[in-house]
This record gives sequence, C-alpha cells and structure tokens, in this order.
Amino acid sequence: MADGKIRVLMSKPGIDGHWRGGIVISRALRDAGMELIFGGFQNVEQCVESAIQEDVDVIGLSIHSGAHFAYVKRLLDLIEEKGLTDQFMLLVGGVIPARDFSELKKMGVANVYGPGTMTKDVVEFIKENIKK
Amino acid sequence: MRREYDIDLLIRKFKEKDKIALARLISIIENHPEKASDIFKNFNHIKHDSYIIGITGSPGVGKSTLTGAIAKRLLKEGKSIGVISVDPTSPFSGGAFLGDRVRMTEVSLDPNIFIRSLASRGYRGGISRAVLDITLLYEAFGMDFIIIETVGVGQSEFEIYNLAYTIIVVMVPGYGDAIQMQKAGIIEIGDIYDVNKKDLGGADIAAHIDMMLDDSTFQGGWRPPIVQTNSITGDGVDELIENIWDHKEHIELSDLLSEKKKIRFAYKIKELLYYKIDIVLESLINQDELNHITTKALENKFQIYDLVHDLFSDVKFERKSKS
Repeated sequence: MADGKIRVLMSKPGIDGHWRGGIVISRALRDAGMELIFGGFQNVEQCVESAIQEDVDVIGLSIHSGAHFAYVKRLLDLIEEKGLTDQFMLLVGGVIPARDFSELKKMGVANVYGPGTMTKDVVEFIKENIKK
Repeated sequence: MRREYDIDLLIRKFKEKDKIALARLISIIENHPEKASDIFKNFNHIKHDSYIIGITGSPGVGKSTLTGAIAKRLLKEGKSIGVISVDPTSPFSGGAFLGDRVRMTEVSLDPNIFIRSLASRGYRGGISRAVLDITLLYEAFGMDFIIIETVGVGQSEFEIYNLAYTIIVVMVPGYGDAIQMQKAGIIEIGDIYDVNKKDLGGADIAAHIDMMLDDSTFQGGWRPPIVQTNSITGDGVDELIENIWDHKEHIELSDLLSEKKKIRFAYKIKELLYYKIDIVLESLINQDELNHITTKALENKFQIYDLVHDLFSDVKFERKSKS
C-alpha cells in the first residue's frame, strides 16, 4: 500500500560542511525518478523527525567527519525508541574507511558508499530493495 | 522492503495525535486518492476548522525561509501548524528534489508543527493534486493553522487562490517595473504583498505595487498591504504577521471567509468530477485511436477540430435518473 514514488531523505549529520557528495547523489536519485527530500544539516532528532513526517523509504547519511559510528548508533537507537526499527533503509556515504563497512552493516546500515562510488550503483541498490 | 499500511490502525493512532500515522495517511492519500473516502469517513464528527495561509511567488524569492519565519512566530503564540511545501516534479524523470524543508530546520522539532514536502507530480497551477486532501487531514488532526507553500511559480499559476484564505505573494528586489505590475495573474491574487530580501533594496518594487493597487478596486473592502521583510534575520516578519491577523479578522467579520470556503470546496468538487470523467474518457478512447488521429493531424493540421469531433460522434453521455 505504500507504493507510489520512492522517497529518500538526504541528511548531513552535524555541521560537517562537505555538501558536494550529498548533492550529487541527491541529483542522481531525482534523475532516477525518486522523490528526494534534502534535509541538509541535521542532528539525529531532526533527521528522524524528518524521516517520519516525510514518510520516506530511505534515509541517506552523507558523513565526512569521521563520526559515522557514533552518529549511526544514535540514529538507530532513536529509531528503535520510536518503534520504527526496520521501517527505513539506512544508507551511509562519504569518507568512510573500507575497514568500517562491515561493522556499519552489522549495526543495521543497508549499504555503505565510499569515494569513487558510481551513482548508478546507489540507484540500482535502492530500486532492487525498495519494491514500489 | 515494503511497508504495509493498515488504515483502521492508522486512524486509531491518528486520533491519538500520532505524527507517524498522520504521515502515513498523507502517503496513502497522495498515492491512492480512491482510498480518501475510506479515511475521511472516520472524521465525519469533527467540526474543527484550520486557518489556511498560502505563500506563493517565483522560485528563489524566499518562500520556504519565510514559511519557517512565520511558523516560528505562530509557534511562539502556542499555535499548532501544518505545513505543505510543494516543489516541481521533473517532466523527464518523474523524480523531484524537494528542498523546502531544509529552510525550516530551526522549527522542525517543535511538537506543534508538522511539515510535509510534496512533489507536484504533473499537476499544474503551482500545487499538487493532494494538497486539498492534506489540508483536510490537517484539519482533522486539529491544526490551528495550515501554511501552503506553492511551487516557485510564474505569472499564471495561481491555483492557490482556490485553497487558502490569506494569500501572501512574495517578491524580491528587481521584480519588474510598473508595466509588470499591470499584468493579470499572480500579481492580482495577493491579500498581502511581501517584498522579501529587504537587505537588497526593494522599496521601488513596493512603490510599484502600491501604484498598481491605486488603480484597483477592492470588492471585499480590503486593500492589500505591502510589507518588506528579510526572512533570514526575521526583520519585518512581525509586521507581516500583524497583517495576516488583520486580514484574517477582516474576512472573518465579513462574509468573505465563508465565500472563500465555498470556493475551496467548489474547486475540489469540480476537480473530482473531472477526475471521474477522465476515467470514463480513458475507457472510451484508447491510445491506438489517439495515435491514429495524431498521425492524421500530421497529414493535415487544419483538421484537428474535425478529427476530435469525429472521435466523439458515437459517444453519448447520459445520466440515469435516480428514482
């Protein structure tokens, strides 16, 4: 029943000012027919509240500050607190060391995208896993 | 991954003022208009009215930031607010980049506000088809105010006129001269004119609007005021709010508000009728036929009226008598 367009929230945790990656991916998702809500700089609470009110399928975090573990953990905790575990697909992109990928996935991140990611890979992953 | 939504459960949660339920009911209504009556039938006993403000203007004039600034002040007065922000859907990909919420981050965690971004999804006139339905959901939720922010519009996209009670037309310095102000359309529909980005000037624009208003007649007895604001610093926003209160009072004390409500529902009813007729039409005329007459039109373009007329020659609309 939740069909229609795939809706994605693009959020930038904290005040890390590296916008470009998030904008490039957002644009690629727009061009792939998705509805992209650009959240910009958000703290954990603002990110989760946006995801709820916009009823998105995917939360994309663009992180370049090195704080990915701390932020992802707080985000997933808050999502659990709201009773929304597994309701959103969580994707993380940015300057994430390859050695951290598997740990992030274990925590509940669906996929991680480092430097050099092809935008089409992100599009395909979302389309394969969100059936609308 | 696919979420299944159970309408009855969502309605129960909605009545407990659950924002997750509100968000999901909006999605259902946006994606499945045919389910709207299943949702709305649960609200028949609710008599609450929200006051609806429309904010419109060209792309980049500051509508979203201004929406955030207005919301901030209304929240301070203890009001609850539902925001609907519309951005355009791409005619090429069907996707959309919704970049209005990002301007309202400051107010986004207040428990008394709910913000929803919508893509226009091919609907014309600067809004999306679901806008009126969502205003009804906000009214059932008990919002004191609803702010509808349109797509960045041009001269002739003024459907917002049918949906909101107080319309703020937002302009910026450099908008145009006295001739530009004489044109029909968007410039005519303001209940309040706001020249935003005050730090860049704009006194000339305010003067041109004033002159344009000098040549207008005001049937409802309301001469639209002109305000200059800086939506980022908040400069002038208090004056804008004062004008919103004045206009609200003006239309509440006269018959204008009930007139505007009538326009709002007449608009929706007509739209629903067209929607039904569209479905009938699609069942009567198939794509092959359309392709066929388009090919014929390429052979002789002056035939287009006749071709359509011929296509309808064996179609007869008739109402069954309700006895």
